[in-house]
Amino acid sequence: MLDFWFFLEVLVGGLLSGTMYALVALGFVLIYKASSVFNFAQGAMVFFAVLSFVGFMELGLPFWAALPVTVGLMILVGMGTERFVLRPLVNQSEDTLLMATIGLAFVIEGVAQLAWGVDVRRLDLGIRDEPINWVMDKTGMLVSQLDVTAAAVAGIMVAALALLFSHTKVGRGLRAVADDHAAALSIGIPLKHIWMLVWATAGVVALVAGMLWGARSGVQFALVWVALKALPVLIIGGFTSVPGVILAGLIVGAVEKLGEVFIGPFFGGGIEGWAPYMLAVLFLLIRPEGLFGEKIIRRV
Amino acid sequence: MNISAILQSSQRAFPVGAPILELDSISLRFGGVKALTNISFNVLEHEVRAIIGPNGAGKSSMLNVINGVYVPQEGSITLRGERLAGMKPTDAAKLGIARTFQNIALFKGMSVLDNIMAGRNLRMHASFLEVALQLPRARREEAESREAVEEIIEFLEIEHIRKTPVSRLPYGLQKRVELGRALAAEPKILLLDEPMAGMNIEEKQDMCRFILDVNDHYGTTIVLIEHDMGVVMDISDRVVVLDYGKKIGDGTPEEVRSDQNVIDAYLGVPH
Amino acid sequence: MTTGNLSLDTFPKLLMHHSGERGERPAIREKSRGIWRTVTWRELAEEAAALAAAASARGLQRGAHVALLGDNRPRLYAAMCAAQWLGAIVVPLYQDATADEIASSIESAKVTHVFAENQEQVDKLLEILPRCPTVRCIVYDKDRGMRHYKQPELVSYASLLQQGRQLAAEKRDFLQAEAARGTGQDSAFVFFTSGTTGPAKGVVLTHASLIDRARVAAATESLKDTDVAMAYLPPGWIGQNLFSYVQPMVVGYCVCCPESSETMLADMREMGPTYFLATPRVLEALLTQVTMRMEDTGGFNQRLYRAGMAAAHRIDAGKTVSLSDRITAAACSLLIYGPLRDVLGMSNVRVAFTAGDAAAPALVTFFRALGINLKQLYGSTETGFFVAMQRDGQVKPDTVGPVADGVELKFTEQREILVRSPGMFKEYHRDPETTAQARNADGWFHTGDAGYLGDDGHLRIIDRIKYVGALNDGTAHSPKLLENKLKFIPYIKEAVAFGDGRDMVCALIDIDMAAVGRWADKRSISYTGHADLASQDEVYELIAEGIAKVNADLAQEPALAKSQIHRFVILHGELSPDDGVLTRTGKLRRGVIAERYRALVDAMYGGAKEVRIDVEAGHADIKVRDAEIIGHRQIRSAA
Repeated sequence: MLDFWFFLEVLVGGLLSGTMYALVALGFVLIYKASSVFNFAQGAMVFFAVLSFVGFMELGLPFWAALPVTVGLMILVGMGTERFVLRPLVNQSEDTLLMATIGLAFVIEGVAQLAWGVDVRRLDLGIRDEPINWVMDKTGMLVSQLDVTAAAVAGIMVAALALLFSHTKVGRGLRAVADDHAAALSIGIPLKHIWMLVWATAGVVALVAGMLWGARSGVQFALVWVALKALPVLIIGGFTSVPGVILAGLIVGAVEKLGEVFIGPFFGGGIEGWAPYMLAVLFLLIRPEGLFGEKIIRRV
Repeated sequence: MNISAILQSSQRAFPVGAPILELDSISLRFGGVKALTNISFNVLEHEVRAIIGPNGAGKSSMLNVINGVYVPQEGSITLRGERLAGMKPTDAAKLGIARTFQNIALFKGMSVLDNIMAGRNLRMHASFLEVALQLPRARREEAESREAVEEIIEFLEIEHIRKTPVSRLPYGLQKRVELGRALAAEPKILLLDEPMAGMNIEEKQDMCRFILDVNDHYGTTIVLIEHDMGVVMDISDRVVVLDYGKKIGDGTPEEVRSDQNVIDAYLGVPH
Repeated sequence: MTTGNLSLDTFPKLLMHHSGERGERPAIREKSRGIWRTVTWRELAEEAAALAAAASARGLQRGAHVALLGDNRPRLYAAMCAAQWLGAIVVPLYQDATADEIASSIESAKVTHVFAENQEQVDKLLEILPRCPTVRCIVYDKDRGMRHYKQPELVSYASLLQQGRQLAAEKRDFLQAEAARGTGQDSAFVFFTSGTTGPAKGVVLTHASLIDRARVAAATESLKDTDVAMAYLPPGWIGQNLFSYVQPMVVGYCVCCPESSETMLADMREMGPTYFLATPRVLEALLTQVTMRMEDTGGFNQRLYRAGMAAAHRIDAGKTVSLSDRITAAACSLLIYGPLRDVLGMSNVRVAFTAGDAAAPALVTFFRALGINLKQLYGSTETGFFVAMQRDGQVKPDTVGPVADGVELKFTEQREILVRSPGMFKEYHRDPETTAQARNADGWFHTGDAGYLGDDGHLRIIDRIKYVGALNDGTAHSPKLLENKLKFIPYIKEAVAFGDGRDMVCALIDIDMAAVGRWADKRSISYTGHADLASQDEVYELIAEGIAKVNADLAQEPALAKSQIHRFVILHGELSPDDGVLTRTGKLRRGVIAERYRALVDAMYGGAKEVRIDVEAGHADIKVRDAEIIGHRQIRSAA
């Protein structure tokens, strides 16, 4: 007989980390929607952002000073990327742009390590990675304070971005640029501004994601691979759908944790690493456009 | 009331005025290919001005020059006495020039309402931060724009498809939505690139009515391109005729219709 | 303004009463430019008073006639109130009527003032103005495209209202006195009934008769001021008028005007009406939509839907109900009917009536199976609309229910229904002769309908008495019964059955373009338009299948077995009121149809396979088909 509370505990843990996958995936979606670029450097940006944040703190800046400074830095990085890497490549094929972002990833990783060194650092946000007492008392479930806080921050961020990019001037501008450049220009939507805005936002999202992941597992080079977790989320949710990746993030989080605990033992464990990819492959077979992705319709 | 009676009557709400747009000796080349050669004409305020010509005559190039998509190598464009040099499409939009496209360029992923709302872009001044934080100005502008857009939706009689994604609409309605998006910017000059291409007779009549209503109701100056002479002659005040990138006629529909050069061009007399 | 001690016997007095009693409650809502806008009772009363003041300044007098020409809009209803405030008589016309139809009504009623919705209506009026010298003033609501009109008769609603608001203060006493002068015996409306034969007749109804009928309906259905109704049918029809003017005036409930006819369903979903009136035509259109929708859904839903329908029919028919039927019906209600009711905007409907024409029992049963309390209502313009109505808990699909309170019935030997009612009309406008023919000295009105009262006290309608005929073998023939069965097929929009004085029944079929079009699209059948689609063999096959089912159904009942449809023709164009073959409420004008389609009818009875007719662009060849007759031989051999 399956223990209900234990099942719930695993599920909650999965959903909480799913929120954070969704946040990382959102960084991809924003850029992909606006400019059809798959930003391979998103992982590097996550790493760079949190490493810089920790670096500034080590230089003596208090938390509340380091945060805006890093936000500013990430906005500059995002805008700079758009201006100096992507804009010169406007009207090139998607493959070219992808290669450019792969190159960019190496540059950012290199610069980060050059500037801040290669040591693994701890990031202390003042929230301990311990179970919440009253939840444990009431139900016997172990739910980490840090996980809950991180999920809450990620959730707020995701919700705010989803709202911003829905039915507002900014959101319409973004979707307009994504749909038709000439038409967007004709109604006075400046492509460059929208692209810069999107890249700057992606930079800030990278910082938040980096801080949340860094606080959990230390600030280290492995953060670059957080982006890989986002891949199945993107495939399941659809590359262009904000609600899609939110839902997909939750699904991936839940599936990997539940899989690990309840199915993992039959495979000798380690299922967490590949279950999301299996799910993604499944989706590619039955619903290649993702949960809410736009159906690929070609007019004859 | 019949259309030509309105056009000719002195009752016109916005009587045709002074030149608003002047094109002087425009030449445009793509590499060695001459698209437009030494073309001059003007557009009067509040008039319906048509540019016609057979396929490949340079009509679309002409419109793209006015709209800032192409910068001509020679010649000048003057808007209300002010010379525009090196203008880009966004500049044109800011100067009050809106347009539609020959092959409908709507934002396919968005609803009719969002498409037309997007057209309000330049009428909304709130910055990114104001929008992100939903400060009063951003909210007020959103509400005001929605009101203006609803007026256009009513004007174009598309209430029933307000929330429909444009990609699901039939062709004729998409054209109408595109007109709505251009109108949302409250333009002074409206450029219509073959607004009736590919429509059946009924849709064409509807579109004619809307074009005249726009001119009559909002006083918008209209420059439209058509390759089919018939419909245009009924709704235009004056017509420019292009052929092989050169201007071969200019005047009222009656004048143009009886012009031997024009007749030859349309009947395909060899040059 | 106050009503003081006045009895509430006229609409202006009722309006003032509501303005005082529930001034801030909604009277009318209208969706315009994407937003629902509310007119409260107080605002409606003020607007009506202001309009009345201005209209009086423009020469509108007690006893004069005011025509209304437009769709359901708050301003149309405000104009209605304003005219009656001054003791004028309102003539609501059908907004899609042709200029000629409008001219004959205006001439007949000697209309002095007209309220028109927009340029389209004004154009029609200006066209006929030379023929209608009595018209002094045309008020138009929407000013789009009106800039070029300089006719002296024209005035915009907005400017009239503004003028009126200034006048209303100084004319306060006058307005109060005008409202008080009216009595229940005054004429309130002239409805031009689009009779199925002959020219339209102007039916005059008093304030008292309409208010009486509305009070009876309100009491029977326990209407409250929190109820909500939709105004979407032509305001020229008495049914719509009762539901969006008379009854709200009596009860104080709120009326919602949809943005346009295309947005009706969506708007209805947003407003969730509780009290709903539909014509059988509207219901048939909804039925077609539901059927199409269900055919598009997947296997499980569709199977559950069918099973649920079957169960619901058994339950509604009052047969012994098995447990499995109950479970199926419950599951279906939760999973399918609930969402369907929501799609139809009928989730909140407490009472729905179908009126205006006989509804096929199957149609009513269908909606009742969906869980919508749809009931039949019988009446006519002359009898104040509410003559008989089905009551909650005793709905029998083949009856129109017991008589409404206050109504007396009598039957002639030919089974014609005679009615006497407080809701009786005053007269046919300026036509005492016809009035006397229709209503005898004792006040009994000849409805022209054949029917009978069952032992259960429920009234059953057979058909229009002049259409009840017989086949040559003596079998009674009621075309409407057959047509209603045919129209229940989603692909058939209209049907006209022939048989009186013939050897067999044949029918003209008008296909439902939307439904058949979709059916054709799914099968990749290409077509260029209505005529092309209507002449395709596949479509004939489709309709023949449907008719075969109807015939099978008819064969079940001995009295009808001989009425099976033997041959049919699919019409190349829609039957439309604009061609005079339907009334504005959608009833068949059989005489006109028989004349117009004589060639087709002759071909059906003459045994031809094809018939050539003249159309606008030359000739068209129309196919004639035999339908499958069920058990025909057995009947023959038995005979």
